[in-house]
Amino acid sequence: MSEAYWRWPESSWLREGRDWRDASGVAAGIDVGTTSTQAAIFCDGELHGYANIHTGPDFRAAAERAMALAAGGSGLKTENMQRIAATGFGARNAVCATKFLDEVQCHGRGARFMYGPEATTVADLGGQTTKCVRLYDWDRVRDFVMSDKCATGMGRSVEMMADMLQVPITEMGARSLDVEKDPEPVSTTCYSFANPETIGLLRTGFKEAPYSGNEVLAAYLFAVAWRILGSIGKLYDLDAGDVKVHGSLAFTGGLAKNAGITRRLERALGTTALSSVHDPQLAGAIGAALLA
Amino acid sequence: MDRFRNILENRHDYAREWKKRTGGRVLGYYETYMPEEVAYAAGALPVRIMAGHRADDVTDRQMYGNCYCTRDMLRQFLEGDYDYVDGVVNTEGCQWMYNAFQTAVNRRPGLFSHYIFVPDYTDGRTSKDVLKSELGVFRGRLEEWTGSAITDGALDAAIDVYNENRRLLRRIYELRRLDRPAILGSEAMGLLLASQIMDKAEMNVMLRELIPEIERRAPAEDGVRLMLIGSETYDVELERIVESAGGNVVVDELDNGSSYIWNETIPMQDRLMALALRYLGRPHSALKDNVWRRRPQRIYELYEDFHADGVVIAKQIYCHPHGSDMYAVWKMLRERNIPYHTFERDTTLPPSETRQRIEALIGMIKPGMTRLRGWSEA
Repeated sequence: MSEAYWRWPESSWLREGRDWRDASGVAAGIDVGTTSTQAAIFCDGELHGYANIHTGPDFRAAAERAMALAAGGSGLKTENMQRIAATGFGARNAVCATKFLDEVQCHGRGARFMYGPEATTVADLGGQTTKCVRLYDWDRVRDFVMSDKCATGMGRSVEMMADMLQVPITEMGARSLDVEKDPEPVSTTCYSFANPETIGLLRTGFKEAPYSGNEVLAAYLFAVAWRILGSIGKLYDLDAGDVKVHGSLAFTGGLAKNAGITRRLERALGTTALSSVHDPQLAGAIGAALLA
Repeated sequence: MDRFRNILENRHDYAREWKKRTGGRVLGYYETYMPEEVAYAAGALPVRIMAGHRADDVTDRQMYGNCYCTRDMLRQFLEGDYDYVDGVVNTEGCQWMYNAFQTAVNRRPGLFSHYIFVPDYTDGRTSKDVLKSELGVFRGRLEEWTGSAITDGALDAAIDVYNENRRLLRRIYELRRLDRPAILGSEAMGLLLASQIMDKAEMNVMLRELIPEIERRAPAEDGVRLMLIGSETYDVELERIVESAGGNVVVDELDNGSSYIWNETIPMQDRLMALALRYLGRPHSALKDNVWRRRPQRIYELYEDFHADGVVIAKQIYCHPHGSDMYAVWKMLRERNIPYHTFERDTTLPPSETRQRIEALIGMIKPGMTRLRGWSEA
């Protein structure tokens, strides 16, 4: 695999002009996911720094590196933090954590912080799973749905598709939307099956279309979006006949940055998702820090 | 409790030893409507064929696409785990189970085998007569097989033993129902599963000793009380995950859980009719609940009765009976604002993922609870 296509850029940020030593309380949250790891540090309830990195094969090392990056060379160490909570698939590997929290709660809480009190339907589009959370008007979780088993159609398989089609992952979404009309979605989002189906699409001439390869991207991301839509739908009463997400929908996780998925979901749901100044991938870590 | 755990974990050894000790025959059975009393009266030991957790690469040719439970049952049969079984019996129910039964019979043609039809419309006007007639045929086949008649006295004795076993296990449920349960969900489910492979008379003696011991125990830690429903389960892994996440399964609505022991056989002059009424009158299995839809109401009653705080619905992947009635259960739970979480199980699902779900469900329920000690400080 060539890193040029699937590897999304890592990032970190530290609030300028504020010294953590002046804060009366420092709390941190780490979200150790299968594909990416985030750390968020709060000083007196205010976001102080964060980092978003690739997890790689070593969960423990990823947690440590994310924490160090979030502290940004300010001299802040885990010993200086009063509370540290970890969440995510590899949470137990975060040795500095004093508390472990489930992802559903963390994403719900993090989304409230990032998107405001309007956010009552949170879809976390992660590397391995989709977690759709319905919140009460206050911060408590009302219901949640998790996708089953493998990473079908989630972040990791989108990375692999980027590599196969040789399209930078950050451009996938925009390019998939650059089609006149959405083609039929691929029939499965399981990467093992979607891969040969995609090759089949390329073989039958998609590559020669005016938007070379874009239809293939659209067909794949449409299928991913459709799968996520099913999970969001399960949060609501099927008998009501509609999904009431208008004005309350927030996307978190890495795929929230893929417009090819989020735009299609918005279209299908007839709404516009809430927006935030924060990186949507940080929701889990922010929620963990707030609940720590 | 350790003795039961031991028997369950070494169930094949137990059955082999039972055979050696008594000289009796072992009858493996697949479905929940198996009229065990008739087999027991014939001197046979009915043993439920249970699935394990091994990824399977043996049954692809016979059962591709079936649920992992039935595939694993067949795998065990093909690999000789059940080589001590003298016969197999199946009752009308799930098609996957029928497939596992039929393939086992095909592979071991020398086995005694019998299929019992159980009407889908359990409350139908003629259902009891149909099942009674089926039980008569089963009785005749067993008599022919063993070479001795099943007397009314033997049937009465079997009914008594089974009724006592149900009564003792209902007592275990009462201990689960307490505000601070005296027994963990994993322990209770272990007893239920053990009862499906053990000689009930022997088990009754052991249970009579165990129950007072449990009653004397210090109450368990307070935790989130969960109800488990869904496909049949053959181990206590899920209950243990719940316990490790700070919860306790206080009640279940599983075919081989509470539904297995909930109602007794009411003695009648016509023994086979009494048994037919008992099996048709047991809490509806999802297999037989397509017309009257009684399960949602029963689930709700158990939920209330056992003061559960939420529900875990664990469906076996490709389990069509539970896949089709899930919607009615969801509807009932939603209408009553009961917190629940549904997921599919199979042998390939890592426990860590199940743990995440359970932790999330418990995390969702806990903030609404004032009952838990220490919550206000949390």
